[in-house]
Amino acid sequence: MADIKADTENSTAPEQATKGVSRREFITGLGGLGIGAVLGGGLVKGFLLPDQVFAIPASEGYILVDTKKCAGCTSCMLACSLVHEGKESLSLSRIQVTQDPFGKFPGDVEQAQCHQCPYPACVDACPTGANHVDAANGNVRTVDASKCIGCERCVNACPFTPSRALWNFEDKHAQKCDLCANAPYWKEKGGPGGKQACVTVCPVHAITFTGEIPVQSDAGYDVNLRKNSGDWKRIGLSVD
Amino acid sequence: MSGYTGKILRINLTTKTVSTIDTAKYEQWGGGHGIGSAIFWDLVPDKTVSAFDPRNVITIMTSPLSGTLAPSAGRTEVQGIGPESWPTEWFTRSNFGGRFAAMLKSAGWDGVVLEGKADKPVWLNIVNDKVVIEDANGLWGLDTYETQEEIWRRVTGNGGVGDWTETASTRDGGRTTQRPAVVCIGPAGENLSRIGSLTHDAGNGAGQGGFGGVFGSKNLKAVSVLGTGSVSVADPSALMESRQWFIAQSQYYNTKADVPAVPGTPMNRPQAPGYGGNFFGTAPSRPQGCSSCYVNCRRQTESGTGNGSQCVEAVFYAPMQPIAGASADLVQRYGINAYHFMGLGWLRELSKMGILGPGKQIDSNLPFDQFGTLGFLEALTRAISFREDIGADLAEGWVRAAEKWGRLGDLDTGLLAFPFWGYPEHYDPRSEVEWSYGSILGDRDINEHCFNFYVHWMPLNAAAQGVEPPVSAKDVAEKIAAKLVPYNDPVDPMMLDYSPEGVYSDSRVKEIAWHRHYTRFFKQSLAFCDWAWPDFMNTSTPELLGSTPEAEPKFYNAVTGQNITFEDGMEIGRKIWNLDKAIWVLQGRHRDQEVHAGYVYKVGSPLPDRLPMYKNGEWTYATAQGRTLDQAKFEDWKTRFYEFEGWDSTTGWPTRSTLEKLGLGNVADELETKGKLGK
Repeated sequence: MADIKADTENSTAPEQATKGVSRREFITGLGGLGIGAVLGGGLVKGFLLPDQVFAIPASEGYILVDTKKCAGCTSCMLACSLVHEGKESLSLSRIQVTQDPFGKFPGDVEQAQCHQCPYPACVDACPTGANHVDAANGNVRTVDASKCIGCERCVNACPFTPSRALWNFEDKHAQKCDLCANAPYWKEKGGPGGKQACVTVCPVHAITFTGEIPVQSDAGYDVNLRKNSGDWKRIGLSVD
Repeated sequence: MSGYTGKILRINLTTKTVSTIDTAKYEQWGGGHGIGSAIFWDLVPDKTVSAFDPRNVITIMTSPLSGTLAPSAGRTEVQGIGPESWPTEWFTRSNFGGRFAAMLKSAGWDGVVLEGKADKPVWLNIVNDKVVIEDANGLWGLDTYETQEEIWRRVTGNGGVGDWTETASTRDGGRTTQRPAVVCIGPAGENLSRIGSLTHDAGNGAGQGGFGGVFGSKNLKAVSVLGTGSVSVADPSALMESRQWFIAQSQYYNTKADVPAVPGTPMNRPQAPGYGGNFFGTAPSRPQGCSSCYVNCRRQTESGTGNGSQCVEAVFYAPMQPIAGASADLVQRYGINAYHFMGLGWLRELSKMGILGPGKQIDSNLPFDQFGTLGFLEALTRAISFREDIGADLAEGWVRAAEKWGRLGDLDTGLLAFPFWGYPEHYDPRSEVEWSYGSILGDRDINEHCFNFYVHWMPLNAAAQGVEPPVSAKDVAEKIAAKLVPYNDPVDPMMLDYSPEGVYSDSRVKEIAWHRHYTRFFKQSLAFCDWAWPDFMNTSTPELLGSTPEAEPKFYNAVTGQNITFEDGMEIGRKIWNLDKAIWVLQGRHRDQEVHAGYVYKVGSPLPDRLPMYKNGEWTYATAQGRTLDQAKFEDWKTRFYEFEGWDSTTGWPTRSTLEKLGLGNVADELETKGKLGK
């Protein structure tokens, strides 16, 4: 997996991430095609490969969450809706943390953050290009609300549960994590080259940013931000 | 006012009617406790009704900061007449953490006001603006964990989360991934225990006051809320910037080294993640935090026992032992105020003395020979909850039991160390006086650790480790005193002098007043957590200076759009304190009652604790071991305190002039009508 440092608050996307699709994690067989087309937002609408797969550049940034470090305080959710919507809403947050107060660690708390998939089903499902790869912001997968027709296909297409693309039932459009590329209520520069609100506020540093495509398993990203985390073990918390 | 939704839910359980109160009418009180007191004042014309009278009104209030990014400001304040205090059931308060307040705001409500009594057991089901008083069939009799799991099933259909749940029939009616937030009672509350508590999620309890019994008296099993709405914020970017400023200024968690300050080094506030769960030992665990917390002091464990519990729930019976977590779960499940169990030693002593036991003067078949085991604790907890064996008497609280057993004399010897209003001793009442004075001038064991972490735990932990305290007594007194707006011009370090003279000084008058006013507004009305605020001293800064008093108004103003100063907040706190005092006066309060239990004046402190003291012209940490509180000096101090507050020093009652200056002319009128206005 990517070598994630315990404290990457000041890190930015490594240069190599800008190479786009030429990553071993990307769908095999596309390498020879090089970078395909950018969907939405650009002149080219993309082209369809014989195997029905869009070839698109990889995102230059990813949010990683250490599932065993998260304290379930929902600060990330409150920061997400605050900087994007200008109000506090657990329901409109693009990162979701759920917990069973009676559950057993580590299965008691789950974090649902967008994976900025190399092959984004949400982008693929969008009939209008509203859900697109944003070339101007490090190829983050995001939604242009002005183009959204409210079909919710992206919400249903997301392979994860709960869906990382979500329906903004207040403003009537889909939305998803954009790594804070468009966070109008935050003065910091966001996006893959900038800061992300959830990473910034997490009080236990359970969330970090990486420019490298993480290894993904059925269980999600394999992230341990505790083992190199100073005194996590000394204060009696699990580092394994 | 941004931060608030504008509506408070009003439920009359007798008539089964649901109505709303405009929050705007009460905004002058700032939020939480202030609004709760003002609503109680308005809705309970006869303040002398008993706690279990249907006319008693319970308010469950959020803060404008609940459900926002303001750090550690998400507690839920509960108020009303509480049955726990002795000999009078004072109008009192408690609060609990977790995510209830944030969820209530998400549903569009700033608070819930409960009146009357249902004719049969019910629970309140709130899903956004849909409010239903439901039949509690199948819930009554369950413990608090079972109750919550069953309510989750009833509300969401699957009891769980993991996917988006639609809360209405249309796709724009709201969605959430979250479980309903439920606050409920267990068997103790159902059976009208005076020490019955409210439980939310696994480890959040509103213990002190006995509100569990009040829920039971109203036939109310639970309040459940699921919300999908938004909380408005006046200046979103200012709020985000404030949180970033706070992280940089005052974080507990050291970003650069990624090393959290840990117990024993060097401030000894509960600053490390999972700190409060340390007493559960070293089982694999994560930290667990309330909504928007920056400390996250509790733990979730591999076994799932002890989840969310901390501090007293973790230490009252078997700290650091394998059964510590299960012990915590017992009091949470049955819904008993864990703090009252700090008096377990009294029962054990009576048993050892041959006074309590099978066929003894106090007849009991509880297995006292198994004291220390989980089995004994469960037997006692069940007995209290179902009023069996001596549990029938103990359900009334320890001091009422002592009264029935003819053992009130134990308050004089200290065998029953319950110094004020029938609540157990928390910290030494003869030396750590903001605790004892604040409690006896108020309504309960205050449970406000503002100064305690610095003056008690830091030197104590250092002594336990055989090292000098990392901050000198002089620095503690001077640095904290400099932050005590509005009494810091000039800075008066003697406010923190715990010497035999210092605890009766005029400086101490100011310190107690600061503490009463600060907590009433910032902690209990804005819901800043007791374990996280105030931020007096902090190792993240070169001068060890924490973010108080800058931080509190910074967050309040960013969220609400108001522009108050710290001093303005202190003045609202003073106003709330005066309104509470007026309610107590109407309940019969007189200065003659504001007297500690006899042992405080007669029996020397057994504790070796060291506190900052100014002795022979120098600051030092010194022990108060052996000290008694001098009753005459304390009475003289009380006279000066009442005068400082603008109260009648003969009666302790507020005067018209004081109340009118605070905009409480109507309160003065009511006191005058009842012949209780100070002169």
